Amino acid sequence: MPGTFSPLEGERLSGNFHMRPLNGELGFGLILLALCSVVAVLAPVLAPYDPRAFSGQPLERPSRAHPLGTNDVGQDILSELIYGARVSLTVALAAGAGTVLLGLLVGGMAGYAGGWLDQALMRLVDGMLSLPRLPLLILFATFLGSGLPQTIAVISFLFWPTTARVVRAQVQSVRQRGYVRMARQFGASHLYVFLRHILPAIGPLIAYGLVTSAGQAVAMEAGLAFLGLGDPLVQSWGLMMRFALNLPGLFLTDRWLWWLLPPALCVTLLILALALMGIGLEQNLNPRLARRWR
Amino acid sequence: MMLMVQDLRVTFPLDGKTGLRAVDGVSFDLAPGTSLGIVGETGAGKTTIARALLGLHPPGCVQGSIRLDGRELVGLSEEAWRAIRWRRIALVPQSVGTALDPVYRVGDQIAEPLRYHLGLSPAEAWGRSLELARRVGLEPRHLRAYPHQLSGGEKQRALLAMALSCAPDVLVLDEPTSGQDMLSRARLLGLLDALRREGGMGLLVISHDLAVVARLTERVAVLYAGQLVEVGPTAEVFQDPRHPYTWGLLHAYPDMSTARDLRGIRGAPPDPANPPPGCRFHPRCTQAIDRCRREEPPLREIGGRWIACHLGGLQTLLRAEGLRKTFSVDGGEPEERVEAVREATLDIREGEVVALVGETGSGKTTLGQMLVGLLPPDGGRVVLEGRELTAARGKERRAMMSRIQLIPQDPFDAVSPRLTVAEMVREPLDIQGIGTPEEREAKVRQALRTVGLPASPDFLARRAHELSGGQLQRVVLARALVLEPKLIVADEPVSMLDPSEQARVINLLKEIQTERGLALLLISHDLALVRKIADRILVMHRGQIVEEGPGNRIVTRPEHEHTRMLLEAAPRLG
Repeated sequence: MPGTFSPLEGERLSGNFHMRPLNGELGFGLILLALCSVVAVLAPVLAPYDPRAFSGQPLERPSRAHPLGTNDVGQDILSELIYGARVSLTVALAAGAGTVLLGLLVGGMAGYAGGWLDQALMRLVDGMLSLPRLPLLILFATFLGSGLPQTIAVISFLFWPTTARVVRAQVQSVRQRGYVRMARQFGASHLYVFLRHILPAIGPLIAYGLVTSAGQAVAMEAGLAFLGLGDPLVQSWGLMMRFALNLPGLFLTDRWLWWLLPPALCVTLLILALALMGIGLEQNLNPRLARRWR
Repeated sequence: MMLMVQDLRVTFPLDGKTGLRAVDGVSFDLAPGTSLGIVGETGAGKTTIARALLGLHPPGCVQGSIRLDGRELVGLSEEAWRAIRWRRIALVPQSVGTALDPVYRVGDQIAEPLRYHLGLSPAEAWGRSLELARRVGLEPRHLRAYPHQLSGGEKQRALLAMALSCAPDVLVLDEPTSGQDMLSRARLLGLLDALRREGGMGLLVISHDLAVVARLTERVAVLYAGQLVEVGPTAEVFQDPRHPYTWGLLHAYPDMSTARDLRGIRGAPPDPANPPPGCRFHPRCTQAIDRCRREEPPLREIGGRWIACHLGGLQTLLRAEGLRKTFSVDGGEPEERVEAVREATLDIREGEVVALVGETGSGKTTLGQMLVGLLPPDGGRVVLEGRELTAARGKERRAMMSRIQLIPQDPFDAVSPRLTVAEMVREPLDIQGIGTPEEREAKVRQALRTVGLPASPDFLARRAHELSGGQLQRVVLARALVLEPKLIVADEPVSMLDPSEQARVINLLKEIQTERGLALLLISHDLALVRKIADRILVMHRGQIVEEGPGNRIVTRPEHEHTRMLLEAAPRLG
């Protein structure tokens, strides 16, 4: 019926979305993440000691000097914990970005170009998704060595296919929109169309992808470090847990309360923060898309 | 060759030094028993030519050559002219009211040239007058009347009788039917036509009334600003005008068979005292190139027609040859393929309004998108201004894309929900890299004003969801206009608007089309709507163009069965 077409309806039908104001999950996740970031940035100020320094006797109980006691070689656990935030956040950011970039590149190309390139790239994605991730992660980590950059690269490499799939689906939908095709009609290059129209249109999706990938990356890094496949020189929360658990008879005393529990809680909280943000962002997305994401 | 006019120039002195060149280098000839029409807008110099042929201009004004049976008339003394006027060349003047002397009876005035030129006695002259009056359809009582007692048509007949009195070799008719009602006009035309056929007289018809010229003449010369722009057989010129001016003139002419609204030629005729350099029509021409602004085009023969145009006449702007597009459903089976467009071929000329009509699913939109380069065709090619659009890449493609713009059906889909009005309209300029940021802003504001939208900061900052459908379609139109394209393809541009807004947007589109001199391809299913503005209509059915022709012909005498069905289905009130 002419004249009765609602623009909002059009928006919803065509799979576009606007950012809505902060919702509870997103807000809470952001606060947690901000807290973690402040701790990471201000680590030298906040930490009572250099985490590598042997600032006390081995295995001290919590005291005024060492609020969380010391580890088996006499390093301050609280300082380790504070500096560990830096590692986890670096991994979260770098691996999250790496995942999203790779996913955006492959998914964007497949979705925009279509045709045989799309088919080829998507078969690759299917192949990658069918591989068991954790064993592969362990294999790669063993193979490539245990530096932090290697860890980040391995995580990015294993997690991009999910992002690629979602990006492709959304790019395919946006590419068919009139205004995107019209830009070509004004003589625009493909690069212009992609950067000016497609990228902003899938922006919220990218934010969502970044947050969820970051959460997964944190968990993976902690897991690798815990398994002893991380960088033994970078004191991450995962490594702390590994060392704590390596102590024979940890659970015989209450020592696990201040050595094992704090890093485990920190990892959980960071993942929770990112997951909450993911849920919050997801609510801003098209429900149909959100279902596809999982 | 009886009458030969060569390089006729008529200059009226203005203020000592400068002169007003009313006729500039006009050449034509007229053989016995033939007829020639001279058409043009008011002020083109038509009457000046007529008066020059009768030696009615002051001495020294006329240059060039007018030869009658080889004898040069330019520069003759008044004495010599008197022997030629009436006897050899006679004129029926335009202003009927002042041509007759109010104090003499009409019959005496008709008899006067007979007595003066042929030396007849009063009685003989009166007898001849009666005979002449009968021939032109006047009764004896008319001859005894005074001019004010006659109607305009009767006076015109009396003047015609006077002009015919000495059986001239050349009869010049200056606006022979002006100021006459349609019926007496038809009678007069019948009379003139009969006179031309029976006598061996050469007939020169000067008129802005194309129907008169079409009826009376075999050849026609089109006069613009004192110069001839096109000469050819009347029927051919009127059927297929080649010069952009002729084309515009014909489209400005009301005609019983025209279903479309009249269109004017943009701009106004030039001031004869100060004509534009180069081709005199270039400021109003839709296809003018640089050369047209510098060089005067000579009248030369192109394909059996004399045309004064550097480009050889009206250009084909866009040509599509054998376009094909097949969509496969779900990538697979041959039986699931849809042949959306099959071998479509069409031309769009400069400044032309072409309508592409057909029912939903006939392939109109697909064809439109292939024409503007949005959809690559499976076969065939699109040629824009002589260059192949379908093969263009990179910079060349970018440049060609600025010449042709699409207005899609759904304005809501055609603009990004993320951009403001200013950003939307500026986008083509950004892409094409035209001008400085300030110039782009100015162009955006100008384009918005052209389409009747405010250019206030508040409006410029709005986004798509804050606009109505009509406003948004105007924004889309403004965006299409900022690049100053030569062709706009409008795909059902108003189908999503309410009826009153539809009419406004269509009128606006038409107005802009005329003013900017751009060509318009209007894609629609609504014959009732497009017949109002289309010069030509293409009918599409199942992916093929089944009928093509002038708008009025398609609407009044459809040939293809599908066109008839579309016409019957067109909405009617009551």
